[in-house]
Amino acid sequence: MGGERLKIILSLTPPLLIIITLFFGGIFYGFLQSLGYQPAIGKYDINFSAYYNVMFSERYSKLFWTGLGLNLWVSFASTFLAAVFALFGALAIRKTFFAKTVCNFIYSLNLPMPHLVVAVGMIFVFSQSGLLARFASQLGLINSPGDFPVLVRDKYGFGIILAYIWKEAAFFFIILMSVLQSLGENFEELAQSLGANRWQRFRYVILPLVMPNLFSASIIVFAFSFGAYEVPALLGVIYPQMLPVMAFEFFLNPDLNARSEGMALSIIIALIVMILVVFYFWLTQAKIRKD
Amino acid sequence: MSDLKIINLVKNFVGMDRPAVNNVNLKINSGELVAFLGPSGCGKTTILKMITGLFAPDNGDIVLDNKSLLPIPTENRGVVMVFQNYLLFPYMNVNENVGFALKMKGIDKNVIEKKVREMLDLVKLPDIGFRKPKQLSGGQQQRVALARALIASPRLLLLDEPLSNLDAHLRDEMRDLIVTIQKKLNVTTIFVTHDQEEAVLLADKIALIFDGELQNYTSPKNYYEQPKNIKAAKFFGGVNFIKSKKINNEFISDIGKINYVGENINDLNDEINITIRPENIKLSKTNDFDHNSFKGNIKSIIFSGTHTRYKIIINNLELECSLQSLGIKNINQGDEIFVHLPKDKIWGMND
Repeated sequence: MGGERLKIILSLTPPLLIIITLFFGGIFYGFLQSLGYQPAIGKYDINFSAYYNVMFSERYSKLFWTGLGLNLWVSFASTFLAAVFALFGALAIRKTFFAKTVCNFIYSLNLPMPHLVVAVGMIFVFSQSGLLARFASQLGLINSPGDFPVLVRDKYGFGIILAYIWKEAAFFFIILMSVLQSLGENFEELAQSLGANRWQRFRYVILPLVMPNLFSASIIVFAFSFGAYEVPALLGVIYPQMLPVMAFEFFLNPDLNARSEGMALSIIIALIVMILVVFYFWLTQAKIRKD
Repeated sequence: MSDLKIINLVKNFVGMDRPAVNNVNLKINSGELVAFLGPSGCGKTTILKMITGLFAPDNGDIVLDNKSLLPIPTENRGVVMVFQNYLLFPYMNVNENVGFALKMKGIDKNVIEKKVREMLDLVKLPDIGFRKPKQLSGGQQQRVALARALIASPRLLLLDEPLSNLDAHLRDEMRDLIVTIQKKLNVTTIFVTHDQEEAVLLADKIALIFDGELQNYTSPKNYYEQPKNIKAAKFFGGVNFIKSKKINNEFISDIGKINYVGENINDLNDEINITIRPENIKLSKTNDFDHNSFKGNIKSIIFSGTHTRYKIIINNLELECSLQSLGIKNINQGDEIFVHLPKDKIWGMND
């Protein structure tokens, strides 16, 4: 029994060491920097002034709170809309029809595409000098491409949301397709024979059946979009600015003292995502206990 | 009243070299319990799905109470199907599962609660309303699925392999429950099965289906005594088939002249197969019989508890006879024996 336990501990130790050293080590050092500990520039004091500066100082507080608001809006909206588009796409495509493979391919095409490429694609298509603006202008729908509504690099984050919908819908789609395929149509057929109409079958059968997977995928997408840098950096504006962009700009600041603020901001982003993940696990565990 | 007529029903699927359902005709009277019996893939469930409206037939009609079901969408047909694997909604408790059909109709919550209690009492599960499906045994899940179907007051109840996922002892219990409830509510019911014993024990009538075609539709007793063809007879354990020719109203076979008085005598062709159940054949060391008595030899003897099976060779034709083990005296392998095929127990078939 003791030998068995030792064997398990020994086999788990190497991967655990790597995780602890690389992941928690990095986070711990970053956390120390966020507390002002930067030996490289002779700062050894431990305090929360970087956190205070970011959240409450006259200089940064407005930037932080509007950035946090924008982050929440963009992440919630893009996650929700990507899930909705993917759900309806998956429901439309799951049944066998002549163009199923083609539709499936088109819907899943975005998955291997890097976020950066998708962001550039958004600029090409949706910006005021993009394809849509030129088309609309050519068709006489607007006087000039400049009259096209600002959908990219706008203060409401529409461009960022569009890019995330475009990209993440494919992720949701793949997950939903596999769930729907494994469920088959028996539950719906049963509900139909019990008198459920199309809407009732969606509301009382499909949605509750796919919801656990949809919710798990939503947490992943939300966590990613909340902490990702490249899309907001390319498609966002200077003000309001999403938190990851703001954090990166603190790092780029030639004044190394600003690094503590950057780290504080990164830790705040990580904390929010972690709180969300913990909340998700608490919810799922509560549901398991209830069941 | 819920009379069901299936008229010239045809269904084809892409990739199949024969119709999944080929020109099936049958009539089910109100309150009857009918079994669709046949091997896997013979088209039983396809017919069931056409009746519910989940599949559209390529040809033919399905008429319930003198009205075609085909233009009516599934949800409005009043035809409820209980699936083979129960399909209880995993995110709902038993009460919610059973009350589903009434909820879809927008019926008042209090009424639903009352009806759900009644249904759970009916299936003898009064105290499990707040359990989730995964907390139930297979038998309990089956009963809940039945209650969920019955609460909708279906005009027609369809059960897809209702006992196939249950243990042997639960099967007996569930079989009794289905018959009791079906007779009590007088709901016209069709169930699909590949188990001949299950069909015989449950059904008022059995529709035997092979390769999408209806072979025979009659009472369980008739399948044993008066099968329509060799396929039907074999499916019900028939093993004795004697090729015979009708010559001047006499039936001549390889084992000799057969005295035949079956009620279908005038419908028989010139070349027929005569069958007899193994348990209806009589054996004797001496020729005690006044008709259909043939001399043969015992080829083999297999003791199987209450019964013993004898294989007898009569002029190169092998017949099988089953006798109660207790009454057997002194019959051994290789013995010469007289085999009696009582004329009221033999049955002639054209196919």
